[in-house]
Amino acid sequence: MSAVETIPAQSTIEGVWTESSGVLWYGGEHLSLREVAAAMNAVGARFVTITAHQLSGPQALRLEYHWDMEGRLLGFAFPLEGKAMDSIFDICEAADWIEREVHEQFAVDFIGREYEPLLLRAGNKAGIYLREEVER
Amino acid sequence: MSYRIPMGPYHPALEEPYKLDMLCEGETVKDVQLHIGFNFRGVEKLAESRNYIQVVALMERVCGICSFIHTLTLCQAMEQLTGQEPPPRARFIRVIMAELERLHSHVLWAGIACKLMGFKTMFMTCFAIREKVMDVLQAISGNRVNYSMNRIGGVNRDVEDPVAILHMVEELEGEMARKIVPILTTSTTAMSRCAGVGVLTREKAVSCGVVGPTARASGVDQDLRRDAPYAAYEEMDFNVPVEMDGDVRARLLVRALEILESCRILRQALNKMPSGEIDTGDAKIAFAGGTALSRVEAPRGEVVYSVTWKENARNPTRIHVRTPTYVNMPAVRWMARGARLADTPLIQASIDPCYSCTDR
Repeated sequence: MSAVETIPAQSTIEGVWTESSGVLWYGGEHLSLREVAAAMNAVGARFVTITAHQLSGPQALRLEYHWDMEGRLLGFAFPLEGKAMDSIFDICEAADWIEREVHEQFAVDFIGREYEPLLLRAGNKAGIYLREEVER
Repeated sequence: MSYRIPMGPYHPALEEPYKLDMLCEGETVKDVQLHIGFNFRGVEKLAESRNYIQVVALMERVCGICSFIHTLTLCQAMEQLTGQEPPPRARFIRVIMAELERLHSHVLWAGIACKLMGFKTMFMTCFAIREKVMDVLQAISGNRVNYSMNRIGGVNRDVEDPVAILHMVEELEGEMARKIVPILTTSTTAMSRCAGVGVLTREKAVSCGVVGPTARASGVDQDLRRDAPYAAYEEMDFNVPVEMDGDVRARLLVRALEILESCRILRQALNKMPSGEIDTGDAKIAFAGGTALSRVEAPRGEVVYSVTWKENARNPTRIHVRTPTYVNMPAVRWMARGARLADTPLIQASIDPCYSCTDR
């Protein structure tokens, strides 16, 4: 069994994994982000970052969450229909700053938390990296 | 009775702007709030308007100290998207530059830490040696800060005389082993000033997801050069120093030992450097569509680049940069809680923060 094949076994999440461009992506369906975060905590994976992508299709945004497990980068992609996503700040404190940043840059509302300004100042409008805001 | 002390954005310890709001009782810090963003430039968004050559020059300017690391991480991601494989000699040159940059960063940090300890003679010694590290970087790249070394598929300049560079490195190693490392690892003045100050427990380090020397000083044994090797690190033999105490002294020790390990890696890379080309020689670069992630162990810890490109486009669709200080800085809150107010500049400096990187 290769090292790649052992990762799903080490993780408590069952699913299909695909290695692509430096990341082991989870390809299973119907994942709850909070379940993923709890499972990553359980296996001792280190939270790395969230990358937000603005899409051109009907799904406005895609959020990619990454954890490191023993030098391997695990990726979980979550397309957003609207602009709301569960916060994982309460179960993964390392996500605090990046949730605040994604909120400021892409106006994503992370449900279940409050925001202190991070890169912007109090009162600035969220969504500064959104295409429509830049073009305006 | 509690009172609040604002520290920054013009900072007594460091050149860069950020702010701490400290809640104190007497001389004891009870809680800390961190404020960043004073240096926010929107570099990630700016990158979307640059082509694949211009974007390398732009991202080199995210950080003044680890400029090479930023372009290395970016180029590695772009190489995944273009199928370019750097030749072996280029991979060795990347290791040499990365380790020289680590020496530069660690020696600079040691100087600032000594100054904050009230050890100003040592500050001058560290900065004199740092100049010599920059001389080596200049001998290779022609530049002292932004080296302009990386490109897609290799590097821009060769190490034309590895023997001469090796002599410079050996001389530097001797000087650092004599003058800097003993002071940082055995001096009673340094040890007593730093022991038990700004403790970050292993549990909290894991919970905050801290990286680099800050993590390794709290007993978290992680280093991408060993755990997920890139460039030519797989061919290098080196140790990853780990300390368990989690205080400023441990962070001092880890960096001091890393200086010696960097010299060891440099000697190996310069001795074993293969002959051959330094880039793929492809004049036309074609991008496959998709997202690539690349990670590199910078002097302060893991740097992550997520790079997205549309097929055959000239500009990236999205570049996201996650720097080490971005994850290390929130941990300062836990290091400073319960500390003496007078220790907070040293505690903040002990993570070797870089706000230019963090704010982007």
